[in-house]
Amino acid sequence: MPVPSRLDRYVETEKQKHFSRDFMIGWERYETWDEATVGQSGLAQRTFEITEEDILDYNWACGETDPLMIDPAFARQHSPTGELLQHPVFVTTIAFYSLGEKGIGTWIRTPGARNPQQRIEIVEPFRYGEIISTTITTADKFTQRGKPYLQMLLDFRNESSVLKARWWCSLILPATRADVARFANA
Amino acid sequence: MPISFAEIQAGHSFPPVVQSYAQPAIDHYALASLDMNPVHTNEDWAARAKVFGIPETVGHGMMTMSTLASVVTRAWGVIGKNGGSIRFVDAKFTKPVKVGETVTATGKVKQKHYFGPGKNWVQVDVEARDATGDLIGLAEVGYNLPD
Repeated sequence: MPVPSRLDRYVETEKQKHFSRDFMIGWERYETWDEATVGQSGLAQRTFEITEEDILDYNWACGETDPLMIDPAFARQHSPTGELLQHPVFVTTIAFYSLGEKGIGTWIRTPGARNPQQRIEIVEPFRYGEIISTTITTADKFTQRGKPYLQMLLDFRNESSVLKARWWCSLILPATRADVARFANA
Repeated sequence: MPISFAEIQAGHSFPPVVQSYAQPAIDHYALASLDMNPVHTNEDWAARAKVFGIPETVGHGMMTMSTLASVVTRAWGVIGKNGGSIRFVDAKFTKPVKVGETVTATGKVKQKHYFGPGKNWVQVDVEARDATGDLIGLAEVGYNLPD
C-alpha cells in the first residue's frame, strides 16, 4: 500500500531515509496476539545509535520550544549533559526502529491496533553515540470486555549494559492473523 | 522554574500545553517516532478500515502521551536546573484524537513521595481534552525534585 508522498517533506534524519515506511509490507510475519507467549524474551532486530538529529526531530515533532531541546549550539553550552535533552517519550523512536519487521514484539506495527495505555520509566538520559540494545519480554496477554490486550516490556540498555529506560508497551490487537488480514486488506 | 520538594504543595498547577493534531503535525510525528501505522497517515485506508469506528486518521497515542508529559517538562525541565528530573510517565487514552483536533493538557501535583534525602519525588496528574472538552487522555507523571 503506497505511503502518501507528502510524508517525504518530513524526512530529516539518516534513520528516516532508510526506514521502511510501509507497515503493510510484511504484515504476514508480524507476531499476533494468539501467537504471543507470556515470558518469551529476545533482543530486537536492530540496535539504535543515539544521534543529535534523532533527538532534535522528536522534540520538534512534539512542539517543544525550549532551546535545551531544540537548539544544539545552546544545549552544548547550557545543558546539564552538554547535549540536547530528549523528550521522555523519545523511546518510541528507538522501539519502532529497533523492533523491525519479524519476530517477538512486531505486533507494535499491526494495522488495526489501538493504544489503550503506556508506561515509560526514565533511568538516565540517552547520550550521543550510545548504542542502544532493546530487550523485549512479552509481559502480559489478557482480554478485557472482550478485547485482546498484549503487553511487552522493553528494556533499553547502552553498550555497557547500563539500563537507560523501560517501556511497558500495551496495545489492543486484532486477535488472529485472519483478523489482522481484514485490516491489512481494507 | 523548578522548585524544591520541601516547597512544593499538592494542588500546585502547571501552565496548559496546547497541541495541534492537524494532519501535518501528525505526519511530522509519524516520521519523528517512526510509527508509520497507516491509521495516522493514510486517509484513504483510514476511511476504509475505520479502526476507531470513524473514517478519518487519528493522532498517535504516543503523541498524546508526549503532550501529557510536556505539561511537566516544559515547566520544570526534562532535567531541571536545580537537579530535578523526569522519573516516569504512565498514560491512559480514553478517546481517539481525530485529525484536526486541538488538544489542551493541564496538570496538578497530586502526591508527594518521601523516599529520603536526594530521592524524593512528586506525582503530577495530567489530563488532556479536545476542543469539545472531552477527555482524550490522562497521565501520572513522576518527577524527582531536589530536597
